[in-house]
Amino acid sequence: MKSWRVLDTGLRPPAQNIALNRALLEARQAEEVPSTLRFLRFTPSALLGYHQSAEQELNLDYCKANHIAVQRRITGGGAIYFDETQIGWELYLHKRDVGTTDMQAISKRICHAAATAISALGVDARFRPRNDIEVDGRKISGTGGAFDGDALLFQGTLLVDFDIEKMLRVLRIPAEKLSDKAIASARERVASLKELLGCQPDVVQIRSNIIEAFESEFGVEFHEDELTLSEHARYQVALREIDTPDWIDLVSRPADGMPVLEAVQKFAGGLLRASVAFDTLTQTLRQVWFTGDFFVSPRRTIADLEAALRDTPLDKLESRIRAFFSGRQVDMLSLAPADFVTVVRLALKQPLTDSVIQ
Amino acid sequence: MECNGCEFRPELYYDDQYQIWVRIEDDGSLAVGMTDISQTIAGKILHVRVRRPGTLRPAGKPVATIESGKWAGPVPNLFDCTIDSANHEVLDKPALLNMQPYDAWIARVRPAKTAQEALAVLITGEAAYAGYCERCRRDDIRCKRL
Repeated sequence: MKSWRVLDTGLRPPAQNIALNRALLEARQAEEVPSTLRFLRFTPSALLGYHQSAEQELNLDYCKANHIAVQRRITGGGAIYFDETQIGWELYLHKRDVGTTDMQAISKRICHAAATAISALGVDARFRPRNDIEVDGRKISGTGGAFDGDALLFQGTLLVDFDIEKMLRVLRIPAEKLSDKAIASARERVASLKELLGCQPDVVQIRSNIIEAFESEFGVEFHEDELTLSEHARYQVALREIDTPDWIDLVSRPADGMPVLEAVQKFAGGLLRASVAFDTLTQTLRQVWFTGDFFVSPRRTIADLEAALRDTPLDKLESRIRAFFSGRQVDMLSLAPADFVTVVRLALKQPLTDSVIQ
Repeated sequence: MECNGCEFRPELYYDDQYQIWVRIEDDGSLAVGMTDISQTIAGKILHVRVRRPGTLRPAGKPVATIESGKWAGPVPNLFDCTIDSANHEVLDKPALLNMQPYDAWIARVRPAKTAQEALAVLITGEAAYAGYCERCRRDDIRCKRL
């Protein structure tokens, strides 16, 4: 049986963790090291996806005032808040380990295995397309990947305990005004293990479940090991590039290039509010949030719809919403799929004002 | 020309994994783009970033990066060059790389040596077609366009 390596690089500031991402991916690409599972933790950090802009995604004043370090990942995906209450896991693989060149299939396979590990703790974790792992519609692990030639890095967070209010303050999302309702609504979209299990989970058990799940998925055995000398050398080089303002500002776009637009509308089926982070350059809905006063069953429908609408080109809005509802059984009383289209379209014509966020 | 539904253009120059194509432009610069194989593997491309014009890029350091479905990675570069310009149509609409991979160039670069010397490390014509089809068969790649 093949032997892969497990590393635990402990609690580190984000520049070090991201420099290790680069170093380990390069070392795997150069075939200097075996495929590797790494566990990691972060001091309080706001982490941008590789192609994101800090000004557009983060509340930088809040980060500065609260000593939250801002960093850019080398992986894709969205901005996240990461602190000591979360565990990070990462796989460094060669393409031949995964038996396909289809990148979406690779993320699906890894997320399924990670969901199995989380489920073994006593919750029903599942992969949700677009790379999140969720429990009953609530996100418990976010993921992202990077590739370099034949080497792949796929990473995920696991919310062990979580400060949702801090996350909302760090990320530039519509709930930044932080009404109780906005926090409650965000709370319905994410879940921590502590909350779901009713007690602090055992971190050693979590690690061992993740190791076992990936051993079983890839038919390998893991052995504990350390960074190699070549990885240390690569790390030092990477840190010199990454631990700099230039790296954080690698992509820099003004916040007004991605306004958060909002609208609220009364329909026969209830009051529906849409908040949209809209990329004006590419005319793409980066993220949409729905709140309001309406009935929908199952409850997870809204979180699923929001996930399905991530990165939707404006001209695909209607067809995506229709396709979403046509593929499932949803009870919304008199609320219609077209109402979601209507309220988003209204939002896109209407800038965010204080009067619409209560 | 095609293999497994993956379009191939014999007049272009390719790396040995058929990730990128290169074409000589009238002004002597080299246009760089992604092959049908690469855009298929990546899936729908959401972001493209090209280094600033004037930036030196040694062989092995990417001229651009792309992101699709949360995967970020480089568009490889095989020769020393300087970035001349980025295709703003592609920056504004990255999915063009999925729709018209051989028309949607990503960057134009100036090779450090002559264009002919830069192209010497690449493959073209019949040899490239054979290698391209071999890659499609070996990795069972069946191309899809958006």
